[in-house]
Parts: sequence; C-alpha cells; structure tokens
Amino acid sequence: MTREADVPLTGLKVVVHASGVAAAYAARMLGTMGGQVLLIEPAGGTALRRQPPFLPGAKGEESEESALFTYLAAGMESAVIDLAAPEGQARLAGCLNGADVFIDDTPISARERLGIDKASLTERFPNLVHVSVLPFGAHGPKASWKGEDVVVQHAGGEGNLLPNGLAVEMFPDRAPLKIGGHFGEMQGGIAAALGALSALWARPECGGQYVDISCQDANLAVGAFAIQRLGDGSIEHRVERSFRYGGVIPCADGYLEMLTLEQRQWDGLVELLGRPDWALDPALADSLERSRRGPEINRHIREWASARKVDDIVDAGQKLGVPLARYKTPAEILRDPQERHRGLFQPINVDGVGLVDALVSPFHFNEAPLTLRGGPPALNAAQETAAAEG
Amino acid sequence: MKPLSGIRIADFTVHNAGPFCTHLLSQLGAEVIKIESAMRPDAFRKPHPVYGRMGPATFDQVASTKLSVRINLKKAEGIALAKRIVGVSDIAAESFRPGVMDRLGLSYGALKAVKDDIVMLSVSSSGQSGPDSHFAGYAPLFGAWGGLGELTGYEDGPPVEIRHVMDHTVGMNAAAAVMAALHHRRASGQGSHVDVAAREVAASLVGDMLLLAAAGGSPRRMGNAHASMAPHGVYPARGEDRWLALAVGSDAEWATLARLMGKPELNGDARFTDAASRRANTEALDAIVSDWTRTQEANEAAAALQSAGIGAHASWTTPELAADPHLKERGAIIEVAEPDGTPRAAVGVPMRLSKGPEIGIHSGTPKLGEHEDFVYGELLGMSEAERKRLEDAEVIY
Repeated sequence: MTREADVPLTGLKVVVHASGVAAAYAARMLGTMGGQVLLIEPAGGTALRRQPPFLPGAKGEESEESALFTYLAAGMESAVIDLAAPEGQARLAGCLNGADVFIDDTPISARERLGIDKASLTERFPNLVHVSVLPFGAHGPKASWKGEDVVVQHAGGEGNLLPNGLAVEMFPDRAPLKIGGHFGEMQGGIAAALGALSALWARPECGGQYVDISCQDANLAVGAFAIQRLGDGSIEHRVERSFRYGGVIPCADGYLEMLTLEQRQWDGLVELLGRPDWALDPALADSLERSRRGPEINRHIREWASARKVDDIVDAGQKLGVPLARYKTPAEILRDPQERHRGLFQPINVDGVGLVDALVSPFHFNEAPLTLRGGPPALNAAQETAAAEG
Repeated sequence: MKPLSGIRIADFTVHNAGPFCTHLLSQLGAEVIKIESAMRPDAFRKPHPVYGRMGPATFDQVASTKLSVRINLKKAEGIALAKRIVGVSDIAAESFRPGVMDRLGLSYGALKAVKDDIVMLSVSSSGQSGPDSHFAGYAPLFGAWGGLGELTGYEDGPPVEIRHVMDHTVGMNAAAAVMAALHHRRASGQGSHVDVAAREVAASLVGDMLLLAAAGGSPRRMGNAHASMAPHGVYPARGEDRWLALAVGSDAEWATLARLMGKPELNGDARFTDAASRRANTEALDAIVSDWTRTQEANEAAAALQSAGIGAHASWTTPELAADPHLKERGAIIEVAEPDGTPRAAVGVPMRLSKGPEIGIHSGTPKLGEHEDFVYGELLGMSEAERKRLEDAEVIY
C-alpha cells in the first residue's frame, strides 16, 4: 500500500458530472492517484448506476449494483444536485469553489441551461480546469454527435481493423468488431485525465482553462499507426493486417497468443515444436519466406498445439524465449500470482453484495500499489459535505 | 502556452508503448531527448518488410517532436553521459525489461543520486515486481494476460489479438501517471519511481468485467452486442465491405429509427416494445435493421441518424479518417512534411486546450544524433574536443 505521503495527487479536488463511461473514467484515474472525487448526480442517480450487468448478490441473486458503476465510482463521494434549479446551480458553485478540476459530459446544447457552459464557468472560476468529455468533442462539425462505445471505436478507425488473425479467418464475412467492454470510451477518459493534469501543470502561469476531449480523437490517437502506414503507402485492412503465423492458437484447454518477431524467437519456437522436419527447411531461416508461408506454418503449429495444454506450452516456451501468453479469463486473472503479488485488486464493500475484489490501478508509485478510498458511494452519500461546502 | 514547456525528459524508451508516452508529452510542450544509438537502431530506423516498408521510416509518429542524441549504453562513459542528461532533466523514461536499467547502472537509485527529485518512469509488460516481471511481451500478449483479448471477439468465436492500440493506451496511461508524479514533486519536492505494467493496463480496461467475475458472475465476449441496448452493433451498409455502427439508447430512439427505416408499424410490435424485449429478439431485430442499412450509404445514414438523435457512425477506413474535416478542425489529424517536403497526414495529441492552441507535432522524425549540438554543446556545455573524443571512443555512437 502506498503511504499517504507518496500518493501523488493528494489534495487534488475533482468534481465530476458524468452520465457516461469516459468522463467517469477520467475522474476514477485522478481518484485512484489520490484525488478526492465528488460525483454530481441527478435525482435517481447517474445513468451509469443502471447499466447492466449487475453484480450477483450474496445469495447469488442479481443485485441492483451495476458492475460498471461499481468499478468506475469506487472511492468517489456522491451528491444529488438538480442543476436545472437555481438552488442546485448555487450548490454546484459551492462545490466548484474549492475544486481544481471539473469533468463534465453534458451534451453541449444542454450546458448553458444548467449553468455549466464554458463561458460561465471560465468567468466564475478562473482557476478551474474545466474538462469537457464528449464522443466527438465540443468543437467541430460533429460536436453534437452522440456515440456509445461501439460508435466511437468505429469512428476512430480501430473498429474497422478488427478482428484479425484466427477470428477473421473463421468469419471473413462478418461485421468488423469492436474491442470488448468500454475500450473506446475509456480512451476518452484516459486522454481527459492527461489533459486535466497537463492543464493543471500550467495553472500557476496561466490560470485555469478549458480542456476539450473527444473519444473519437483519443481512439484515433491510440490507432495512430494506421495513419502512419497510410503515409507510407499502405492501407491496412483487418484481413491483411493479421500476423502471418502465430497469433491466437487454439490448444486442448484454451487459447494462447504466440508472436515471434525476431530470429532468436523463431529459433526458440522451432525448439519448442521439437525440431520437426518441416520447420528445419533451410528456406524458413529467412523471415520473409516465413511470412510468405505463414498459413502453412500455422497449420503445423495449430496441429501441434491442439493436443497440448496452454500452460504446458507457455511454460516450456518461456524458457526458450518464445513470447507466449495464455488468453486469461477474468477468473484466472483474479487468482493469478503475478496480479496478487502486485496488489492489483483490493476488496471493497458493495451494498447488497458484500466484499468484492476490485481492480485498483495499473500504476505503482515508489514500489507500492495504490489504494481505493472505498466502494461505490450510495446515492447522495456526500450530501452533508456538499451542503456544508455550498 | 504549451502546458509542459520547461519540462525536460531523458527518453530511454524503446518499441511503442514508452515512446508513445513521451511523444504525447512532447506534443504538450515537454522537451524530449531521445537517447539512441547506431548500435541498436530504433525499429523505425530499420526496414519493416511485413508492412511493405523496405527502408527506414521517413516519418515516425512516436519519434516526432523529439530531439535525438546518440549514446552507446554499452560503454561506461556512455552511462556517465546518460546520467549527465538525467541531471538536467525532470523525467527519465524507460521501457526495457525490468532489471536492464539496474544492470546498466541506471536504476532509480542511481538516477536519484544524480538528480534527487527525478521522476523515473518504467513501462514494462508485467511490472517491475512479481514472478512474471521478467516476461518480455508485445501488445497482443498484454491483451491476452490482461483479459481484454479474452473478452474481445464474436460470441461463438475465439479471443482476439489487441494490436498497437494496446501499446498506445499503455503509453497514454503512463503519460497521465508521470504527470501525477510531477504534481507530487511540485507539492512535496520529492521525485518518485512510476511503474506502469502493460498487462495491468489491459486489465484496467475491463475492470468492470473483472469485478463481475470477482462477485461470482461470468463475463464473456459478446461481439458488438451490448448488455442492454438493442439495436446495437455494426450493420452492413451499401457497397463492398461498408459498415454502419449504431446504438439505440432508448425506446424513443427506437421509435425514431423505425420511422427512419420507413417501418413505423414496428413501433407497436410486441417483440420490440422495450429494451429488454428488443434484446430478447435481437436476431429478428438485427435482420430488420440490416435490411434497411444495406440500402443506405454509411456516411449519409450516420448523418441522418445523428440528426434524429441516434448515435451512429460509419465504420471508417484509414483514408476516411485522414480526410475528415471534423478531425482536421480539431487538430486530431494534422499535416506534417516529409524530409523532402511532401505533405502527409499524422495524428495530433488528443485534446484541445483553450490556452494552448499550439500543442501538437512541430517537427518530424529527427535524424540519429541530430540535436547533439544543442544537447551536448549548449545544454551540457561540452567542448568540441570532448565530443570528438567520445565519438572516437564510440561512446557518442
């Protein structure tokens, strides 16, 4: 556990008004690194509370606790504020008075009515870093466009390039695929956390400012190599983008990932396979020839792997320097000795569910994991604090 | 102003994840000194025949806006020189396998001895500690270890490889973490060692599914489907390999879609009254929606749907992204010049700042050692003779 003095964002105050994943994830990141986060919710709570799937309750029945909300809001405080009413706006102003960062995903057209548009907040809170997080950003011809995760992933480019490898071999005619979960929205959240911290860094020189984050931009940024290759003269497509051999390999008891990009890794793979005659063909010593004959190589690898267990292959391959990984299920990750050693999970209390292990953060500071301040807030759990400050 | 102007980074990172982190920070104004060597040229200085690039890259996204110096880290004097750069830096970033910096004599402790408040960033596949910390990895392995690969794919198909977006999301996470460490330094005067594990980043992106599993649930891959929304997914559009992503978020949006499809009678169809019934009848629903989308040009349909308040977008190809007026207006797509002046598209830093309109890429890929006059001459005050001696000794190499 990180000592309080080592938690990097101790003292940072964040107010978040989020109905979507991206804005909430930005606040979560700042919160796990030490920020104190207050979630502003409408009566009845943010829509995130009603997003399935719901966690199983203590007796196995479905609870009312959303897995997504629990993950995103763990450690936050909650205040129910009606931003459409003047007294609600006054309460929000009270919260923002002491805040460093305000993160908001209200559609642009609705902001002025709620008193949270760029102009009013800039005027009233000149030291506030105001972070707008929208599917297509707050500026530009598509600023009013809506977009769930599937929409922003496909608007950002990577959606059209997936799947590749085994999945596209098996289903070449199917629709392209998004990455699972909320990958596309979370990219917007990560960019927003970076934007908030960058703007805060400049605050002593230039005061607060407005940070405009678009999930589409963030998805495009992490997919930047497609644009780079376009400039190099090649247009990627999900069918051709596959690695020529290796990739997702079905085994007797699951799947593994195999990727040999360097000669020594190929040499290790030949050893792992038991030096079969086909692999000893001198022509295959050349990496370009291996690429050309990728499908043939993969037929051999898959046949070999189909009778073996994932862990047996991975254990032997690691010793030979072959990059291999099991495609781990969530249950396997939860009990993995590496993740346990790293303190990746922390039990949090969820009403109606009990203690559940929640992922904290992928960062260590000074050789220690971070910690969550607690579980997800009950609705309006911070009402007294917010009222007192307001 | 660029928000990070005044910040200097000694950049030892290699491959994609670490360099993307420092690339983002460089676009935000940090002065990033890329430490490299002819001994082990960067991947972008070598051919990449798998992608049809038979020579070095003429433009490398993740090296742009960085300064380049040569240091041979296999020589003791090279290590000493690297430390001199760290001594005038705020951040030292690296992405070697755990243990390599220690063996080179560039551990956090060693760098802290040179610059007491240095912020060191280490990016690795499994983190700096634990039984798997020595594992080497690439993006698809991070995705596999972290569960993102297992949870991506068609419901009846295999897991899916997560490609460069995995590296780059590690890099963007690392940029946020290292900024947090800088704030900590500002508040406390203390530097720190930031340890970012790529597989944990992959896991963090499916943290909700891991939580579900921890509570006894059974998360699984589900293609383009959503746990509650329907219609939701990627539907065939008019033309070869054209697709439309759309998500209907409410009953009102469904009524609107039915009207747009010219089938207002669906509104009263008992199979589709609410989200739960639409989810239960997804197959029939998707067939109806697909029959309509097949007749529609993807971009026109997306615009019509958005005008009616439904979230949708064509599944865009790379040339469409590069040519998009919205992305250009936002600075998400920018134009850069090849060394011979030929323009090409590149990707900007994914944010707009009201007081920092000048953020972004301002120079292309540096030549190996291009900025040694500035770094060795001006910054470190080294004489021509000293530099010449180190070049002859293959330290600056």
